[in-house]
Amino acid sequence: MNIIEIKELTKNYPLGSTIVHALRGIDFNIASGDFLSIVGPSGSGKTTLLNIIGCIDNASSGSVNIGGVEITKLNDKEITDIRLHKIGFIFQTFNLIPVLDVLENVEFPLLLMKNRSKSEVKKRAESLIDAVGLSEHIKHRPSELSGGQRQRVAIARALVTNPDIVLADEPTANLDSATGEQILELMKEMNRKEKTTFIFSTHDSNVIKYAGYVLKIKDGKMVN
Amino acid sequence: MKFLFIISLRNLFRQKRRNILLGSAMAFGVMILIIANSFSHGISDILFNRIVVYVAGHVNISINEGKGRDLPLFRDRDRLTKIAVETAGDKLIEYNEGVGIFLRAIGNGKVENLVLVGINTISRTLTQKQREEINESFKMLYGKFKDLGNKSIENPAILSKEKADALSVKPNDIVRVRYRNIYGQTQSSRLTVVGIMSNDNIFMQGVMFVELTNLKEMMGYRPYECGSIKLTLKEPQKDAADVADKIHSALRPGPAFILATAKVLNQDSSMNPDVSTSENKNSNPNTISSNNQNADTSPRVTLIPFMGNDEPLKKLMLSSFKLSSGNVKDVFGKDGMMVSDYLADILKIKQGDKLEFHFKPKFITKDKPEFAVREAIFSAVVKGIFISDDSTGKETIYMHEALFYPKFYENLPDLQSDSKFAFIPKEKASFKPALGTEWVLLDRSRSTDDLKQKLRAAGRKKIKAATIDVNSMYESASDVLKLENALNIITFTAVLILFFIILVGVVNTLRMTIRERTREIGTIRAIGMQKKDVLLIFVIETAILTAFASIAGTILAFISMAGLSNIAFQITDNPMGILLVKDRLHFVPTFIGIVGNIGFILFISIITAFFPSRKAANLSAADALRHFE
Ligand SMILES: Nc1ncnc2c1ncn2[C@@H]1O[C@H](COP(=O)(O)OP(=O)(O)O)[C@@H](O)[C@H]1O
Ligand SMILES: [Mg+2]
Repeated sequence: MNIIEIKELTKNYPLGSTIVHALRGIDFNIASGDFLSIVGPSGSGKTTLLNIIGCIDNASSGSVNIGGVEITKLNDKEITDIRLHKIGFIFQTFNLIPVLDVLENVEFPLLLMKNRSKSEVKKRAESLIDAVGLSEHIKHRPSELSGGQRQRVAIARALVTNPDIVLADEPTANLDSATGEQILELMKEMNRKEKTTFIFSTHDSNVIKYAGYVLKIKDGKMVN
Repeated sequence: MKFLFIISLRNLFRQKRRNILLGSAMAFGVMILIIANSFSHGISDILFNRIVVYVAGHVNISINEGKGRDLPLFRDRDRLTKIAVETAGDKLIEYNEGVGIFLRAIGNGKVENLVLVGINTISRTLTQKQREEINESFKMLYGKFKDLGNKSIENPAILSKEKADALSVKPNDIVRVRYRNIYGQTQSSRLTVVGIMSNDNIFMQGVMFVELTNLKEMMGYRPYECGSIKLTLKEPQKDAADVADKIHSALRPGPAFILATAKVLNQDSSMNPDVSTSENKNSNPNTISSNNQNADTSPRVTLIPFMGNDEPLKKLMLSSFKLSSGNVKDVFGKDGMMVSDYLADILKIKQGDKLEFHFKPKFITKDKPEFAVREAIFSAVVKGIFISDDSTGKETIYMHEALFYPKFYENLPDLQSDSKFAFIPKEKASFKPALGTEWVLLDRSRSTDDLKQKLRAAGRKKIKAATIDVNSMYESASDVLKLENALNIITFTAVLILFFIILVGVVNTLRMTIRERTREIGTIRAIGMQKKDVLLIFVIETAILTAFASIAGTILAFISMAGLSNIAFQITDNPMGILLVKDRLHFVPTFIGIVGNIGFILFISIITAFFPSRKAANLSAADALRHFE
């Protein structure tokens, strides 16, 4: 079963008087539970593609179907709801909320959902923090953590809502290679345990070995 | 919601320096606003409840009986006060007969000018608040306030420490005073010092107090008479104009007349023309004449005044009455009097004869024998005879106002009981507008200038009836109240300054904050926070800051006011001194004022925060995430 189906997807950015063709017709499907890597050099359109799949940017043309829903036709409120319930994000720069501690950062997406009891939220968040190995740092603010620790918090936050898809845009780019590998190991482990679909992008061919499938793109086009 | 609140609160602490700066500016603004507001309330309090009350009253019914001079005299005190008190109803705190005279006081070898003010200590019941106010403004250094009412002492008086020193008098000393009574006659009296007070109100330092009844007697009022009346209201700013309007309409005068019996004097005048005419010319109509003859016919007649001093009204009389004898100029002139043909027949009189009138006054005072007039008598010469009909009445005599009113007021008849027997011309009678009324009610004025103009116009008309003028403090003291407006401008300026602090401060701070947090906004939007919640986070942030600043500002304001009102200003020769209470600035913070101000500030800061916050919420998540500082 395909969790994501993409057809003839293009994305153009206006840049001054010219137009940047960031994506020039992408077609592919992703099966549920995949661990997919999008690989390509800088500027090839990886971030653009992940943003569109993650429903934080809209396509110029083509169709994107996630879990049976054509997302190009939704309004902002509906699409925000899809992000909250179906998608988890892991960013290159971690993007934790600095005024919240580890527990609160992980609880954050759950608190955006209505009708969840406080204890339920806390229990779920703690179990994920435990799974990423940060139980000792539950009361720490992001500024008190190392880069690897922060990215673990981000992973816990992405998974806490039990999403269908987790998107990670160059998750290891800001980490040293050893830590980067640990993070990818963790992601892989979560993919196995939670059966969540993972898509991560990278321009580093060293990390490709972790991927189940690899999608190569260059200049906004898929290459084989 | 609680969770958004926590994020907002923590974000506030994140940019400590910036928010402390903005918060301090807001707190400063709030402080200024509250101080300005309390000060202007304090001034209003002084103006409305401490100055205007003494100067003009919140509502003021002023009387002038005329005679070419200011004569504040109303002949039926109870009637006037009843109308005033019943109309004002529960809006009234108290009414005062506003009597006061300037006089020269002679103490022990020293002479001083003073204002003598009457206070009703005997019959008045005070509320707790009034008693406190009296105690506050009248600090007795010697004696008791209620000694003013002591009947066994000759004219007990209380005066200020300053004036007691100036006159070098001690308690129980006699102060002799010289003054003019309401009739303009010079009088002198002896006052006994029963009390000395220290005073904070500059108005009160030149004042000597005596019991109202004593003062009224000194001034020449009879017990049932009064002068102008001042009303003190509970909520003067709200009610003064309305109460004045209502009292004004309740004071519409009825027709004036005297129900009298008429007798003929000097029936033989025609036989002795030279003697009688000269006698008539010089005779004082007031003289009580007893050498009357032919007293067998004394019909009951109604004497009716016409407003002969007003040219248009005089013409109206002229055109409405047909004379069978008499010269138009004499009949409608200053001593004019015309008798109906019917009465002339009965009394067998003709033009030039003299009539004597007897009537019953309303007030007969038993405890003061000199006022015990059982029957009022006066006489006047018949200047003409008119042809009577149903509209003029048969047993009627019409008199020029100048002849009628002095007699009418001197011994005011009981119009209510007399009206059953008197002939009162109908409303539809053509000459009705030319007939005199019990008094003349002046139109309500709109301002002090309007008031002055109106009084001048009334003076020019030479109206012989008493005039009554009802004013609220807005007309009678509008000059004083202008000061209030000036002070409100200060408050308004404070509001304006604060408004700009908020506008510029909040907008700038939020702009900076939003730029710094763009990527964070992108993150929370990507995670799934709705636009409206993002907006809310920023608005709540501003609201919390404003609320803290307001609380701090309020505390600062109270500390400053406490500090400022600790400073004593020794202003004795400057008119601004009246704006002080006990030599100190007078602040009156009100709960509603403070809550209102804070509410207003919260409102404008939220409105101001709304627009940049909405811009932040509308950022595209992808763009926001791509943003690097
Ligand atoms: N907001 C934008 N406006 C204009 N051009 C953009 C914008 N975002 C990305 N691009 C361009 O689109 C292309 C693809 O960018 P991106 O998806 O960020 O590549 P990658 O993530 O693979 O480095 C690049 O040429 C980039 O310059
Ligand atoms: Mg990229």
